[in-house]
Amino acid sequence: MTVTGTAEPAVTEVRAARPARRKKLALVVLPPVAALVIGVALWQLIIVIWSVPGYLMPSPLTMARTVGDDMSTMWTPTWVTVRESYLGFVIAGVAGVLCAVVMARWRLFERGLFPYLVIVQTLPIVAIAPLFVVWLGAGPLTNTLVGAMIALFPVAANTLSGLKSTDRNLVQLYAMAGAPPRVQLLSLRLPAALPAILTGLRVAAGASVIGAIVGEFVAGVGGGQGGLGYVITESAVQLQTPQLFLAVLLASVVSLVLFTAVVIVERLLLRRWHESALPADE
Amino acid sequence: MTHADISVRAARQPAPGPLVEFTGTEKVFGNGFRALAPIDLALPAAEITVLVGPSGCGKTTLLRMAAGLTAPTGGRVIRHTDRMSYVFQDPTLLAWRTVAANVELVAKLQKVPRELRRERAGKAIEMVGLTGFEKSYPRELSGGMRMRVSLARAVTSDPELLLMDEPFAALDEFTRDKMGSELLHMWRSSRLTVMFITHSIPEAVRLGHQVAVLGTRPGHLIELVRSPSPPSLDPDAERDEAALHEFALRTTGQLGGARA
Repeated sequence: MTVTGTAEPAVTEVRAARPARRKKLALVVLPPVAALVIGVALWQLIIVIWSVPGYLMPSPLTMARTVGDDMSTMWTPTWVTVRESYLGFVIAGVAGVLCAVVMARWRLFERGLFPYLVIVQTLPIVAIAPLFVVWLGAGPLTNTLVGAMIALFPVAANTLSGLKSTDRNLVQLYAMAGAPPRVQLLSLRLPAALPAILTGLRVAAGASVIGAIVGEFVAGVGGGQGGLGYVITESAVQLQTPQLFLAVLLASVVSLVLFTAVVIVERLLLRRWHESALPADE
Repeated sequence: MTHADISVRAARQPAPGPLVEFTGTEKVFGNGFRALAPIDLALPAAEITVLVGPSGCGKTTLLRMAAGLTAPTGGRVIRHTDRMSYVFQDPTLLAWRTVAANVELVAKLQKVPRELRRERAGKAIEMVGLTGFEKSYPRELSGGMRMRVSLARAVTSDPELLLMDEPFAALDEFTRDKMGSELLHMWRSSRLTVMFITHSIPEAVRLGHQVAVLGTRPGHLIELVRSPSPPSLDPDAERDEAALHEFALRTTGQLGGARA
């Protein structure tokens, strides 16, 4: 005999979300930290088990010692790279937005300039950097410009597409109200393009650091004035692998800091109105 | 040679005659597509003229010509005012500005002094029932509320002529009815001349003093039907239901002919 009607009804209870900031933070912070600890432990283990020579692959312990011993000599090159790449980023940001504004305003400029921007983008940066050294000499100016050059395209291309995708009806609304092109640009087109501009700047943040370091590879200025790129090539030649590792690590920190800064600015600017910056469940 | 002309005559007071006149107005697009055969239509001042018809009958083209957004390729469009507002099918708001800033936008672009436009915007926001939402962003509002912001913006520039391109088409029926009431309320308080496009015959019958029924291929005027019981300035005035029903049937009948 089957008994019916005694089964419990299916009830789904939707509870009010609890303020769980700490829990959330732990969920965000813990997994990458755990992965790091496990990774470093494995790294150390592999080196001990197979007795890998230090010039091929330094162990985490060697790295820790290197940080202690050599960090003082790393500050100057890091600072050099920071100055070059961040300045390159700013130049690319300003020039990229200006290029895009001109191209969006006058079709003729878009037709005339855009192909060359694409060419600048497709030029292999390692191949073109020596030419900059020939023209401008080895030094921070060259490295800054190499960084700016490869960061320019993502900013210009993204800004242009942002400026060109302004809502047509809004453009007509401005036109009917008799707003001159300058007002339309500042009050409508640029703010509407802001999410696209910031996407371009995010890509440019990484690109400008790569450019500056490639410039330093080629320029080869010693005496702490060559930046992290010079430290990297020098350490490689002398098989000072721990220093090489440290320089690479610092270069990625330089890049990461700039990237994070752009993301923070993005969040602050788009917080109230753009989908990309809104919390997931709102 | 065809004669194309849009002229604007500034008139501060609503003229006793029509506010907008289409005379033999024709539109052929650059690709040779004939959107509109020569059409004669007058929009009486301080009245609501509704345009109905199937897609592709040139309703929006007529509205855009009234706004001066596109020029006729033949005939004339005469508009006796330059104080006009355009309401799109979508709210068309600036996502990065608050409700208050959006409502003031067009008036600000027209260089209306700050004090005056603040005052007008405040009234408009109150009229569309958005008091308390001045500091909200469009993203935080419902579709109907956004459309109200758009209406409030249109009246804040103090227009004489309101051009509306299916403004309530994207809303649910309940909200749509409410918005219709708000439009009539606005019309009563400021005696606007309204050119209103819709696909909905009940909406046309409810709002229109006259309904222009348009047909396709090319767009042309089938008939201009006067309402036997138009919306009146008195909000409590009873309307003759039977006459309105007759009016609706007549309008629908014309459209049926247009589709055949």
